[in-house]
Amino acid sequence: MNGYNHKKILIDGLWTNNPIFCQVLGICSTLAVTNLVLNTLVMCAALIFTVSLSAFSVAALRHFTPKNIRMMVETLIIALYVIIIDILLKAYWPEMSQNLGPYVGLVITNCIVMGRCEACAISNSPKIALLDGFYNALGYTFILFLISSIREILGMGTFAGIPMPFFSTPYWDKWIIMVMPPGAFFVLAMIVWLMRSIQLKKIK
Amino acid sequence: MKIIDLKIYPVIYIFILMFIASSIIIGAAKFTEKNVKMNEKIAIGKSVIQVLPEIYKKNMTNAEIHKVFNEKVKKANIHNTYYYFTENQSYAIPIEGKGFWAPIKGFIGIEQDKKTISGISFYEQNETPGLGAEIMKENFRRQFNGKKLSADGKINFKRKGEKLSEHDIEAITGATQTSTRLEKIINNSIKEWLKNISN
Repeated sequence: MNGYNHKKILIDGLWTNNPIFCQVLGICSTLAVTNLVLNTLVMCAALIFTVSLSAFSVAALRHFTPKNIRMMVETLIIALYVIIIDILLKAYWPEMSQNLGPYVGLVITNCIVMGRCEACAISNSPKIALLDGFYNALGYTFILFLISSIREILGMGTFAGIPMPFFSTPYWDKWIIMVMPPGAFFVLAMIVWLMRSIQLKKIK
Repeated sequence: MKIIDLKIYPVIYIFILMFIASSIIIGAAKFTEKNVKMNEKIAIGKSVIQVLPEIYKKNMTNAEIHKVFNEKVKKANIHNTYYYFTENQSYAIPIEGKGFWAPIKGFIGIEQDKKTISGISFYEQNETPGLGAEIMKENFRRQFNGKKLSADGKINFKRKGEKLSEHDIEAITGATQTSTRLEKIINNSIKEWLKNISN
């Protein structure tokens, strides 16, 4: 528990060790679900829930988990939470469940979840693991929110489904490429570049 | 010797954990089963009444959809396919087939004259969000209203910018695969239906 405090975990997760532009984890889902803001936000909410709780559970069980099967145990715990989200979405928000399709299930393979379990939860107390998971997922959320806003506005002229002034008018020729997979690569690369430059400048 | 040092301990451990996890999931699935089934039913009912003329209103609640569907829509079984229709003999024809990623399922409504389309809707699809999934949007679906089947019973998809006749629909830019597949799905279903009702 040495050197760990609330503020440090917060800044680490959101900025100095941001899962997207520093650890470069969870890129697959970053590319896949960021063309509509609303889908992205629901996806991020699912991720926040999964990362925090699975990190918490892994940390709580860490003294009983045999080292040689810890990965299996982690996967099992992650899968449990993801399936619960999937079931809840299907039952209470069928439209969103339709929109996200297979992506909810793919949270299981999101590297951030496993990454945080391995890097922090397995060797820390449940409280620290929970905070660490939560802030990392939040760091992921804020980058994804940025990317999806840019993509949706440029590509479709809307923000979370609401038509934007200028961008939804005929004066704006919609950049279809933004909502297609290649658009995600461009925007993600720009954002990583921008964030890293700011970070490096600060260090100097 | 403590239990944690036993060779068999990892096996026991994972077994217990698995047992707990599966119980939770089975419990959750059982608990929401009724809701999920109801959602599916409502989705199909909504899809049907959306394509039949003049019985769908915007912002209908699930209960209203259920009621209208049960009272006004009849079901007919012709050649093992179910068609839904109203008293004035407008048909809701099921359309189903392979989309780009996953099956597309929905209904297309055809009026009494067996030519005029009264609407189209989908209750299952998994096309690319923002591109193929635009088929769900009102803007795309509205194009079908009032369009007529061509002499050989078809609806054609045209690229953006091409001249549209009364048998044509503007395809979605950037979603060529979804558009071509959907065109095929619709035309196959209509062909099947025309064949079935003529016998």
